[in-house]
Amino acid sequence: MKKISEGAESIVYEGTVAGIRCVIKSRIQKLYRIDELDQRIRSTRTKNEARIISSASKAGVNTPRVLLIDGFDLYTERIGGTTLNKMGRIGTNERQKIMQGAGKNLALLHSSDIAHGDYTPANIMVDSGTVYVIDFGLAEQTKSVEEKAIDLLLMKRSVEKSDYKTFESAYVHASSKSNAIVSRLHEVEMRGRYQTRTLAV
Amino acid sequence: MAIIGIECSAHTFGVGVVKNGKILSNERRMYKISDKGMIPSKLADFHSEGAGTTIAAAIKNAGISTEEIEAVGYTKGPGLGASLRIGYLSAYTLSRKLGVPLIPVNHGIAHIEIAKRLNAMKNPVALYVSGGNSQILRMVEEPDRHYNIYGETYDIGVGNMLDSFARGAGLNPAWGSSVAKAAAGGRYIQLPYTVKGMDFTFTGLMTNALAKLKSEQLNDVCYSLQETAFSMLCEATERALLLTGSRELVLCGGVAQSARLKEMADAMAKPHNVKVGTLSDEYNADNGAMIGIVAERIFLSKSKIETGHEIDQRYRLDSVKVTWR
Ligand SMILES: Nc1ncnc2c1ncn2[C@@H]1O[C@H](COP(=O)(O)OP(=O)(O)O)[C@@H](O)[C@H]1O
Ligand SMILES: [Mg+2]
Repeated sequence: MKKISEGAESIVYEGTVAGIRCVIKSRIQKLYRIDELDQRIRSTRTKNEARIISSASKAGVNTPRVLLIDGFDLYTERIGGTTLNKMGRIGTNERQKIMQGAGKNLALLHSSDIAHGDYTPANIMVDSGTVYVIDFGLAEQTKSVEEKAIDLLLMKRSVEKSDYKTFESAYVHASSKSNAIVSRLHEVEMRGRYQTRTLAV
Repeated sequence: MAIIGIECSAHTFGVGVVKNGKILSNERRMYKISDKGMIPSKLADFHSEGAGTTIAAAIKNAGISTEEIEAVGYTKGPGLGASLRIGYLSAYTLSRKLGVPLIPVNHGIAHIEIAKRLNAMKNPVALYVSGGNSQILRMVEEPDRHYNIYGETYDIGVGNMLDSFARGAGLNPAWGSSVAKAAAGGRYIQLPYTVKGMDFTFTGLMTNALAKLKSEQLNDVCYSLQETAFSMLCEATERALLLTGSRELVLCGGVAQSARLKEMADAMAKPHNVKVGTLSDEYNADNGAMIGIVAERIFLSKSKIETGHEIDQRYRLDSVKVTWR
């Protein structure tokens, strides 16, 4: 097992188990929380993440398959390639294709009432041209227009203007109820709080 | 030179005298909250009656003469209009009498700045938890220097949540401490835990805890409520620490008086090698010294003081241009 990343909530490892190349997301114990609460949170979040990955995949979103839930460890199949934020310099053409894929995947998620919660280039993976969505750690099953608009907002903050345009047109093209979400995005951006946040992060 | 700071945004009339960042005196007079909460007109009367003597006591205990006072700081907001008006008018009268400038201060910034300075920290992440506020902040330089809000409550502050629960449970509402006392020996029962990134909500938790009182022991509910609420705050704060890469954290505001919250913040910060700065209760509660501390920084920065809008009940912390270091 090789550690590949460490976040506030979990450590991600990669390895091969019984011949299957997999990624294991292990939710870490938090000593500040009492045990009962800590275990309940880690276990619900692990199960929730697995459940949402499965519904996303049913909705046609490219996402790694869930292999196993083992306590606070979530095993998913490992895909090749790299995350979008680590791809380095790529041609305009390829970048446009990726942004289109990211937009289409998000439209599919939203159509089945899933808000991703952290839709940034760090959670988009590209493997020989196919665009995958990973990390459903903050995802939620919800009809909320606001939550969906925030998915767009996070992407907008993280990529260049022209890339975001490509992304948004693909999103609008692939979804049926995008009007309300795009206009909510503009509303959210007008609110002071998100403006100052955008500038700081 | 010395600066006098007057705080009056809710139940406390506080006056502090500050000189070169040192607190020379800190006087307070607190309105006792009844089971109905704060009644604005009674609150205003209470503060008007006590203003003069509290100011005089702060000057006397600082051991300075009134001629040494070079500016009067006061709380512009956020807070209750009834209180803010009395604080402002008291400060105005004093500044006219002494012929010195009047300096408006943001209440929340004062809570953070006093914690930062008394702990000698440069630019910590702040967990600011009081009755009406629950926010995670840090000073940033872009586009202008200001306190950026990384996370905050979507609804009510953690202090008001604990007090409303206490009232509903028939406990004496004493700013969260009655819930802490009643939590002794409690066992954990399941309550909603809602953190979204670095934000959190408390009303669902409170409503659910109140409903649980029908079927569960009071101390179990109090224990679980407190553990859940503080865990939520710590989780959101941990994210902000990792995001900013800061190695310093301060706890401030009335709820930061909680021993349990301090203990949890320590446990959260330790694996990240983050130093935690805390304050004695006197400076976590609303107080005049914190207003004096910020007013002195503003005074020394010689920045232009905007007039008009003398008080602002919704004075947002992140709207303030920080002109000092
Ligand atoms: N299924 C996967 N296949 C290959 N790499 C993955 C997979 N899932 C995650 N990773 C890698 O692990 C990193 C962290 O995983 P992620 O699920 O995003 O966790 P975190 O919550 O820490 O962001 C990703 O940026 C990616 O590089
Ligand atoms: Mg991720």
